[in-house]
Amino acid sequence: MNQITQWIKMAFRNILKSKRRTMVTLIAIGFGFASIALFQGYIHSIYEGLRSSAIHGSGIGHLTLYAKGWEAHSKSDPETYMIKGEDIKKISQIALDNEHVTLTSPRLSISGLVSNGKNSTIFIATGVIPEHEKTVKAEFYDFQPITGTPINSENSLGVEMAVGLSKHLGFAPGSDGVIMGATLDGQMNAMDINIAGTYNTGVADTNDKFIKVPFLFAQSFYDTQKADSIVIILDDWKQTDLVKQQLTDALASSDIQVEIKTWKQLSVFYNSVRNMFDMIFLFIFIIVFIIVIMSTTNTMGMAVVERTREIGTLRALGLKRRGVSFLFAAEGGLLGLTGCLFGLGIHTLVWALISYAQPSYTPPGNSTPVPLIVSFLPTSIAQLIIFMTLLALFSAIIPARRAARQNVVQSLTHV
Amino acid sequence: MKLIQLQAINKKYQMGQKEFLALNDINLSFDKGEFTAVWGPSGSGKTTLLNLIGTIDEPSSGTLLINGNDVSKLSDNEKSNYRNNQIGFIFQNFNLIPVLSAVENVMLPLQIKKTKTSIAREKAMERLSEVGLDHLANSRPDKMSGGQRQRVAIARALVTDPDVVIADEPTANLDFATSINIIEIMQKLNKKDKTTFLFSTHDQRLLDRMNRLVKLEDGCLS
Repeated sequence: MNQITQWIKMAFRNILKSKRRTMVTLIAIGFGFASIALFQGYIHSIYEGLRSSAIHGSGIGHLTLYAKGWEAHSKSDPETYMIKGEDIKKISQIALDNEHVTLTSPRLSISGLVSNGKNSTIFIATGVIPEHEKTVKAEFYDFQPITGTPINSENSLGVEMAVGLSKHLGFAPGSDGVIMGATLDGQMNAMDINIAGTYNTGVADTNDKFIKVPFLFAQSFYDTQKADSIVIILDDWKQTDLVKQQLTDALASSDIQVEIKTWKQLSVFYNSVRNMFDMIFLFIFIIVFIIVIMSTTNTMGMAVVERTREIGTLRALGLKRRGVSFLFAAEGGLLGLTGCLFGLGIHTLVWALISYAQPSYTPPGNSTPVPLIVSFLPTSIAQLIIFMTLLALFSAIIPARRAARQNVVQSLTHV
Repeated sequence: MKLIQLQAINKKYQMGQKEFLALNDINLSFDKGEFTAVWGPSGSGKTTLLNLIGTIDEPSSGTLLINGNDVSKLSDNEKSNYRNNQIGFIFQNFNLIPVLSAVENVMLPLQIKKTKTSIAREKAMERLSEVGLDHLANSRPDKMSGGQRQRVAIARALVTDPDVVIADEPTANLDFATSINIIEIMQKLNKKDKTTFLFSTHDQRLLDRMNRLVKLEDGCLS
């Protein structure tokens, strides 16, 4: 151990000897490290936000349970592939027996026309249990504030209307209107609504269409006792796949045929955004990868040429070829490590500035600005330091091997 | 048994299309404790001969026995070990490692030998003291004079207690007084440790103090 410390001390002094060249390499590695770490922190917060938005914001929960065949046949024969009233209770009971399930909430989506008496337009509504919404929505319950009052079981005609739609029809909290549409049997139905509150969906495409109604109201509108899905909320999103499997097994043993989808399977937006950011990350990573390899190889290559006589001396004193390789590889690794520590400083500084300034921006498709958040990820940073140090070390191996292969006599006479 | 035996050694170099014979049929031996100079004009093969004995170069033909072992049959790693344990080098340009202090330079062969650092430092300090440089132990080579650097190089060459010290023109870059001082130090250490010193030189001051002279001319013994 003592011996290795001595060699590393020597390697460290050597990288300090050529200050300007070392500084350029450290800057290249440092900024490369900082850009990767910051972008990683940024996309981590994006993924976290998108995940939370998919699970809670859009209300699909961690798991969504449908009757078997729903995905294939719901468009042509929805009623047959809905969950029956008696099954809703059984499924909820079985699901709630699982230690990770905190809530089950049936849903029924309806659609039709909404009118203020003069104008009408299409709407898409979800029937929800009002008392469950706080749990389903979690942090989004406060993030999407309602003007007026939220839907509740006491006001059976009360609905929450997206702000764009309410503006279009001239509705305000307290206004009355009518919705019209076909029941599951194909009969025309119309029901009065009372605008209990208005809310911003946060997405321009849905702000002019969405309504949220009580579940019983939706059942009444479609003249059914069924639900089209049951949303399941877990105590930890990481348990999603495990609970899905456990529920599939438990329900199958109770002879209830269902399809269970995870939030990841249902959220097309999450997957497409994630794929896009993963691609950008890969692109940045490859650029930094090349910069680190090129700058380290160049620096160490120049060091080998400058120190040819020193290499000859070390070999004459009995240092083996692998010893020379180790010495130069250690210098490369030290360059990488020092560059990473420098980059960590830049990263921390930028991260602190962003956390302090709390800038916001409006992403495409959003109607409201979102805060720019960069997560501080100690584990990822540690992994990145190890990776980039090893990358710099291996980048130095090519010049190090060249150094080790040199003829001793020629090295000693090198000018 | 002779410490070093050279039997019918030839060394050829390829110089473009031509072949250059640097050493021609050399038969020579050295005993333990010799203080010998290989001398002759420039290009006579002095350095080539010492490089072969130091195992940093290989003969084109012939046999080189050290302590009875044919060193030409050793692998590169074995030669490295052999040099580390049995040979000390003193170079014309000192060849100290610039980022290491005097004591760290002297410790280097022991460090290569994987000697415990505390023991290596103690031994290096002893050798530095013998060459009168213990007070400059922590100085870097760029803060030392030529003579001081060469004394550090002597300490480094002797720190592993080698059988042979090979010194290639050790006084070529030194002034008269320093050269005499360096020669006296080496003479003293030769007598004290019975270490064999082989020099290549054409410095008359050094030649005058040798126990034995080996003259080379155009690659041949004369």
